[in-house]
Amino acid sequence: MTVATRFNSGRTGSGDAYVSDRSGSPHAQFMRLTSYALIPLGALSAWWILGLAGKTLEGVRAEIGRPIPALALLAFGAVGMVHARQGMDEIIEDYVHDEALKTRALVANLWASRVIAALWVVAILLIAAPK
Amino acid sequence: MADVDTDRLAARRPLSPHLTIFKPILTMMMSIAHRITGAGLYVGMALLTLFLLGAAIGGGAFAAVSWIASGFIGNLLMVMIVWAIFHHLLGGVRHALWDRGLYMDPQGRELLAQATLAGGILLTLLLYIFKTLAS
Ligand code: HEM
Ligand code: HEM
Repeated sequence: MTVATRFNSGRTGSGDAYVSDRSGSPHAQFMRLTSYALIPLGALSAWWILGLAGKTLEGVRAEIGRPIPALALLAFGAVGMVHARQGMDEIIEDYVHDEALKTRALVANLWASRVIAALWVVAILLIAAPK
Repeated sequence: MADVDTDRLAARRPLSPHLTIFKPILTMMMSIAHRITGAGLYVGMALLTLFLLGAAIGGGAFAAVSWIASGFIGNLLMVMIVWAIFHHLLGGVRHALWDRGLYMDPQGRELLAQATLAGGILLTLLLYIFKTLAS
């Protein structure tokens, strides 16, 4: 089979569906490396996230405003969202088979993850950065 | 072979997996739960981002997002997010152990599946009780 050979799937007929782009191993490696960072960050963040429950505005700002929670949550949000983007890519590739829809879903995921990460970082900096 | 033949063969071939014919076993459920908590955390992080943004701006913005972390819905949401973090985190530890070839035998993977399920619930419960007592 050459690069030009189009994959003939018994299920979807001729087309490019189910042809590997050979990015599987780097992807898996990326998920594993980010997950190692997320184990301590996630455990710490769970503590402060649950601490947000029922707090007043002053309470929330006081909690996030301290340096250690702010730094841990910053890192959790940033690393968490690159990890989540890769993970969601995998989910989309598993379930969305229409090529056009898949492309749009992947782009939407890329931007959603970037926007969430960026706003997360901005919000915490606004609360915690020294004025 | 003509395309027509391929098509006729393809039409007769069963699709796999047939979700309804598999016996639901714990290791399979935990694999699926890892994906569900991963996708759920994506939504959870989006909600938390809105909440933090509201807290950063203050005033009316905070009033508009405070439901995310207070009241019945907010408390439920925070507990669900924290459970999803713990469950997904333990699922990640499980993957890391498997990557090293550990706990891959029938007893081992059953033990890890049980530990993921029970550990996620237990850690959430402990943290909730501790936080409630502390405040
Ligand atoms: C708390 C620490 C975390 C750890 C240890 C962790 C670990 C992992 C690992 C090892 C995988 C790969 C699973 C596989 O190869 O089948 C994974 C997948 C995934 N993670 Fe995480 N993760 C964490 C936090 C998060 C967060 C915060 C999010 C979302 C914002 C997230 C979203 C996802 C998604 C969407 C997937 C893909 C699920 C799938 O393909 O089934 N994870 N995680
Ligand atoms: C006997 C039947 C099944 C076999 C042999 C099987 C096998 C597998 C394997 C080898 C993986 C890759 C694991 C990994 O990368 O971590 C996987 C992942 C997955 N399976 Fe299955 N599976 C079966 C049934 C099912 C069913 C019935 C469902 C859905 C209802 C399902 C949902 C999933 C999901 C969501 C993943 C990705 C989660 C992950 O990567 O951890 N599986 N399965």
